[in-house]
Amino acid sequence: MRPLLEIADLRVAYGKVEAVRGVSIAMEPGQIVTVIGPNGAGKTTLLAAAAGLLRSRGKVVYDGHDLGRLDVEERVERGFCLVPESRELFGDMTVADNLLLGAYARRRNGTEVKESLQHVYGRFPRLAERRRQKAQTLSGGERQMLALGRALMARPRLLLLDEPSLGLAPLMVREILRIVASLRELGVSILLVEQNARAALETADYGYVLETGEITNQGPAAVLAKDARVVATYLGGSA
Amino acid sequence: MKVGAARVLALAAIAILAAAPLWAAEFTITLLNYIGIYALVALGVVLLTGVAGLTSFGQAAFVGIGAYATGWLTTVHGASPWLGLLLALGVTGAVATLLGAVTLRLGGHFLPLGTIAWGLSLYFLFGNIDALGGHNGMTGLPPISIGSISLEPDGAVFYVIWGALAIATILIANLLESRQGRAIRSLRGGAVMVESLGISVFRIRLVTFVLAALLAAVSGWLYAHTSRFVSPAPFDVRMGIEYLFMAILGGSGYILGAVIGAALLTLLQNALQDIVPHFTSNGSQIEVIVFAVIYVLALQFARGGVMPFVLRYLPRGPKPAIAHAEPLPRRTLPQAGSPLLAVEGLVKRFGGLEAVSHVGFEVRAGEIVGLIGPNGAGKSTVFNLITGALASDDGRITFLDADITGAGQRRIAAAGIARTFQHVKLRASMSLIDNVLLGTYLRTRSGLLRAALRLDRAEEARARSEAFLQLERVGLGANPYDQAGNLPLGRQRILEVARALAADPALIVLDEPAAGLSRPDKLALAQLLRALREEGVTVLLVEHDMEFVMGLVDRVVVMDFGCKLVEGPPAAVRADPRVQEAYLGSVA
Repeated sequence: MRPLLEIADLRVAYGKVEAVRGVSIAMEPGQIVTVIGPNGAGKTTLLAAAAGLLRSRGKVVYDGHDLGRLDVEERVERGFCLVPESRELFGDMTVADNLLLGAYARRRNGTEVKESLQHVYGRFPRLAERRRQKAQTLSGGERQMLALGRALMARPRLLLLDEPSLGLAPLMVREILRIVASLRELGVSILLVEQNARAALETADYGYVLETGEITNQGPAAVLAKDARVVATYLGGSA
Repeated sequence: MKVGAARVLALAAIAILAAAPLWAAEFTITLLNYIGIYALVALGVVLLTGVAGLTSFGQAAFVGIGAYATGWLTTVHGASPWLGLLLALGVTGAVATLLGAVTLRLGGHFLPLGTIAWGLSLYFLFGNIDALGGHNGMTGLPPISIGSISLEPDGAVFYVIWGALAIATILIANLLESRQGRAIRSLRGGAVMVESLGISVFRIRLVTFVLAALLAAVSGWLYAHTSRFVSPAPFDVRMGIEYLFMAILGGSGYILGAVIGAALLTLLQNALQDIVPHFTSNGSQIEVIVFAVIYVLALQFARGGVMPFVLRYLPRGPKPAIAHAEPLPRRTLPQAGSPLLAVEGLVKRFGGLEAVSHVGFEVRAGEIVGLIGPNGAGKSTVFNLITGALASDDGRITFLDADITGAGQRRIAAAGIARTFQHVKLRASMSLIDNVLLGTYLRTRSGLLRAALRLDRAEEARARSEAFLQLERVGLGANPYDQAGNLPLGRQRILEVARALAADPALIVLDEPAAGLSRPDKLALAQLLRALREEGVTVLLVEHDMEFVMGLVDRVVVMDFGCKLVEGPPAAVRADPRVQEAYLGSVA
């Protein structure tokens, strides 16, 4: 099968400091791939560069096309969406308006957008209950749901998720990751960056370990989760 | 370019400028004089708008007050211009304090609108006071003189103007690298964090505002005695906008940006006045259009002004290593096990929603207490009530035997509670060390004058040493001069911990300190918190990582839907079926 996303020798530098140093990642359609690693390893930078938010060197090939000079909006139109670590919701706007903005790229097709909205409400009943509430009044878990829902409104084929479990209670972490896993049925592929390595490896099919800007280990998630060094550094004793 | 070469070049430039009266034509000197006079005002704008984030369109009015004060005293009463300077500073300072007290509480776009309002009204006031010559103004002002030497020729007053500018620049540069200067720099980006460190946002805003007005008053005084004529026209809002634009064009975040901006705009204006008449007779209209185009282009393509481009070609010397100095005095911590914090019947409503509903718990000195619960349970609200960021609707909070219910953030900070924020509140463009130094504000004393004259260096060295110690302690000591905004989110939280520790708290309140940290960093954080407990510092924390919380804390308080659900030692709480259902799921 042709890989959906192929990142080859990606390099990103902030001034003189190279934060991502020749990273290569491949993912098949319908796969969940996770990138784990310590703080400052370059995970967030990697996602931002792949999404076109940062200038980078190297290749990002998506669905057989070199994304090269495409900007963020053009990538979103092709179904390539980033959900950033900080969520970036519009706090003064309602939940419904935040969701509708997610479909901005296909705003001319009203009926389709309405269908997507219903679909998102179906997947996140909490958002349907709160559709008229301002986004800033939501709790941490609901915010993450809204960020995910907004990304789904773009009808993505590939979602880049940056720390979806950040700041969430244990129950909510599992709920969010359950939803992430369920997106596979929709044919959405997911590149997942997580600090919560245990949960990430349980959810993903394949994993990469990123340390100081370089891939230092990779393999099927189940195998990585048993790797001695990964266990010692990122998983710890069974808690 | 090497640092040494740049220094030689700078000295050469200063020497050439200083010798200008010897080589330049009289008209060039006049232009240089105006550049110096404008740069003084723009320097105030840099401080006020660029550094403190308070946009003012009204600085020209303060120039006017200074000019009119000295004009009135020297013509009507025949006093010396030096007395005029004192009056100019006095009146401008008084008016600025009054205007500032009224308008500086305004937020957002209301403050700039306010400055336009008083900018307009002062202009009309000048024009309608007959004693001040009305719209015709006052003529025959005496030149400045030193002893019996009159500084009437432009070549002589040049030294007064550029001398004043040089002194003002050095004093302001000194100030910005000090305790109060950091407080001014921290004003941009929200008041809650600043107040939580015991800094009065209103006071710092007012001080900055008055300083900028005093710089404008000096400029007005120089203007009045250089042109020897005062009328309302040069002090209207249009000129106020020009001062603002000088600062922006030069680089409003940089002190030298004021000089560069004043020079660029003055020279440009002069060049246009030479060129435009060759093409059209509507000179002034064309001028306005050309400036409008430049404004728009600058705002589109060079928001930082000219300075960032200049700095790109200047070498940067190595930053000084931070030397160890005598530690700052520390507070005496309460006896371990004695009651430290008591929360009783705490209630907070947002509209109809009761976010915190009759919550009560106690924290004893030397304990680590965890506050856990689902997202939206009200944990962060409880923190905001304890630290004074929010006012409670009911209940009582006692800290160290004092009732702190309803006390403001500053009083609570002074009482010995330091905090971090769930959504990181750092100053992204300030260095790590400067962010942590903000935490030492209440432990240091130096005021504006000491800082401007660099009499604060001994205390500053102690504060720096303390801040660096805390940075090293949390594991961020490697690059203290890096910008805080370049840290990954998880480490930014840790930087907030260092800032809180720099305040020498008796109780440190941490809102999700481990979120976004990888496991090795979490282990290091847990180690640090245990070490703090050993020292007698009490810790209250909200955290979702159960492995982290349960292995660390002495006691857990669980909240759900705004109420306290359970309280107890970690093992008992973890086994409690209510906690499992509401929060943990079936992990345990």
